[in-house]
Amino acid sequence: MADFQTSTHRSKWIFSPQKLIEKYKAANKRAKQTLDTCGATLMEVDVDGSLTYPQPHPNANDNGEKHSRIKPLSIEEEQSIKVFYENKLQEVCNNFHFPHKIQATALIFFKRFYLQWSVMEHQPKNIMLTCIYAACKIEENHVSAEELGKGISQDHQMILNNEMIVYQSLDFDLIVYAPYRSVEGFTDSMEELCISGEDELQKFKALQNTARLEVDKMMLTDSPLLFPPGQLALAALRTSNALHTVVDFDSFLSRIFSHQNSTHTMTELLESLDAIDSWVRKYKSPSEKELKHINRKLKSCWGHSSHDEGKKREKKSKHKSRKSSNEALNT
Amino acid sequence: MADGNRSNSNKPEWLQQYDLIGKIGEGTYGLVFLARIKSTTNRGKSIAIKKFKQSKDGDGVSPTAIREIMLLREITHENVVKLVNVHINHTDMSLYLAFDYAEHDLYEIIRHHRDKVNQSINQYTVKSILWQLLNGLNYLHSNWIVHRDLKPSNILVMGDGEEHGVVKVADFGLARIYLAPLKPLSENGVVVTIWYRAPELLLGAKHYTSAVDMWAVGCIFAELLTLKPLFQGAEVKATPNPFQLDQLDKIFKVLGHPTLEKWPSLAHLPHWNQDTSHIQGHKYDNASLNSVVHLSPKSPAYDLLSKMLEYDPKRRITAAQAMEHEYFKMEPQPGRNALVPCQPGEAFVNYPTRPVDTTTDFEGTTNMQQSQPVSSGAAIAGNMPGGHASNRSVPRPINVGMQRMHQLQAYNLTSQAGMSSGINPAGIPMQRGVPQQAHQQQQLRRKDPMGMPGYPPQQKSRRM
Repeated sequence: MADFQTSTHRSKWIFSPQKLIEKYKAANKRAKQTLDTCGATLMEVDVDGSLTYPQPHPNANDNGEKHSRIKPLSIEEEQSIKVFYENKLQEVCNNFHFPHKIQATALIFFKRFYLQWSVMEHQPKNIMLTCIYAACKIEENHVSAEELGKGISQDHQMILNNEMIVYQSLDFDLIVYAPYRSVEGFTDSMEELCISGEDELQKFKALQNTARLEVDKMMLTDSPLLFPPGQLALAALRTSNALHTVVDFDSFLSRIFSHQNSTHTMTELLESLDAIDSWVRKYKSPSEKELKHINRKLKSCWGHSSHDEGKKREKKSKHKSRKSSNEALNT
Repeated sequence: MADGNRSNSNKPEWLQQYDLIGKIGEGTYGLVFLARIKSTTNRGKSIAIKKFKQSKDGDGVSPTAIREIMLLREITHENVVKLVNVHINHTDMSLYLAFDYAEHDLYEIIRHHRDKVNQSINQYTVKSILWQLLNGLNYLHSNWIVHRDLKPSNILVMGDGEEHGVVKVADFGLARIYLAPLKPLSENGVVVTIWYRAPELLLGAKHYTSAVDMWAVGCIFAELLTLKPLFQGAEVKATPNPFQLDQLDKIFKVLGHPTLEKWPSLAHLPHWNQDTSHIQGHKYDNASLNSVVHLSPKSPAYDLLSKMLEYDPKRRITAAQAMEHEYFKMEPQPGRNALVPCQPGEAFVNYPTRPVDTTTDFEGTTNMQQSQPVSSGAAIAGNMPGGHASNRSVPRPINVGMQRMHQLQAYNLTSQAGMSSGINPAGIPMQRGVPQQAHQQQQLRRKDPMGMPGYPPQQKSRRM
């Protein structure tokens, strides 16, 4: 696989924690502003892949009181929604028995997509499915949109509608590096370092399996946007090794460290591994109750409120928005 | 906002930054156009724009286009084309890839020597082209990318300018990352020109390795020397992937029949194993490669060529090994400008510029009023005698100089993504100018391939 060192993954898609927060804030803020001006946040993606923005409510300002009833999601709430759909994404991939690599690619696509957008702007259910579809295409495990849609009883047209906006939002940087391969690579070098007998081999297998499960957990946190796959793999192996005690991990680290002319110091590496661990520890799935509450808020942001007016707005926007979007531009 | 006047034009906005000159190539994937940049920064700079056909219904965005883009996004090498921009035409969901334009390609250069000037290509040029081709290929192979469709029309050579005479490997539509593919690479319904296809593939091998590219390089090397395709088999047209007996026969005739001794894994190749069309029937004993290419069997050029045309892919020379071959150490030594020898006084050929079909517009439709007949459609569709039009792509390369352009364009994507001013932050899509099919459009940009971390700063103002 192309070289990670020169990859777009490394040069463009690994952020500092501050940068990540900035991006979440920016997307959230934009959606909030849209809500203020338009009374809704959801963008419609049409059959032709075009985006339709919510139309500004003519009296938005005068009417502030009315719209103020619709509350935007906080960044934390957005995070909960994303966590929920990332879990869903793993579920769907498991149901289809897709290889791990596809699941990881789809997850990374999903995370990158929501660096650019708020969940208030694009429905995460649709984006999640489109990310899976795109990941299959990229990894040459082609599944037709129809097949994918059927498997989860969703309209596959929605997947196709969103495909281009997903590629665009990923800036067409579609080759991603998941930590699974690094886990294998590091396990291999551990084996080489420790001349091992038959039952040792079993131990390494167990070590590797647990590490893979650790990576699965990491993939649900922000850490794939913060750390290179090699560090994620090492953190997973360290945790796994703490359980299985197969090797002296510190001496393993210094061994591989001496082999790579790394730009980092050992201390920095250990700090990263600790940070990754803490991301995994901090991770929590929102409770069902919380989710219900957030979901309700989210739906009203989308303009999908249960009362009639919301429905009407939705319908109307389908017809009117084309014209109005141009009008919006012209102003 | 500037977008307002879009409705006055049928052209999507991204297209308005170019002057369309005409069509320069056509293949199974779609069309290639020559265009010039209008903006002041790079005014007049030539760009090749490759338009992908929409994939079949229900399949979404063309997988070929997506794969080419995703690979090109990751690679940067002087001898490999570099993608400078991606545009989306939402009218029909087609993708347009913008490359720097290369005036020449090996197909045209060879043709020019064979049909026009009637003389062979000078040794300096042959060697420089071959070395640069290997250099690009070595880069790809060390990044685990197999090109899979090398042929003269996919090897471009830059025209006048800073990169004059620099070779660019192009057309990555069939290229693949070959490290642990999830599926055998042969399952992709490949349509590759058969003349440059390696014998293991012709015999039904399921997995591609970088050795298939080296075989093609060997064929191209011979063609540079003789101006004739080395193995000009008649293609069996059928789907999917029919057995190409004639192509193998042409190879066997020149290289001698393969034997298990020379090529042990031959026994496991499906068509050999099943003796398809009695392929095992031994017809040719003696190799005649040296006489076909008019090289002394003792010459380094012949030695290198025969190592590229080694039957057993495991024993075939690699790009890295080939670059170290004695052939490149002897005079004349290869140079960066393959077209102009560095030794003063040596003659060089002035190659014609690429024919442009100015009657075809971006939609691929032909205007009836021809403005200017193309010299011969030849260069465009590859209809040289016996020519094998299957895939004559003429992607142009790129490189250099486009950075400023990226910055100009980069805002597009970002705008939609990163920006925030409320409603349609910098006017993304939603343009509906072109009635066309029920599809539509929007546009995209692609940006700085060299990837600065994160997105380039949002630019508010639109280019005029």
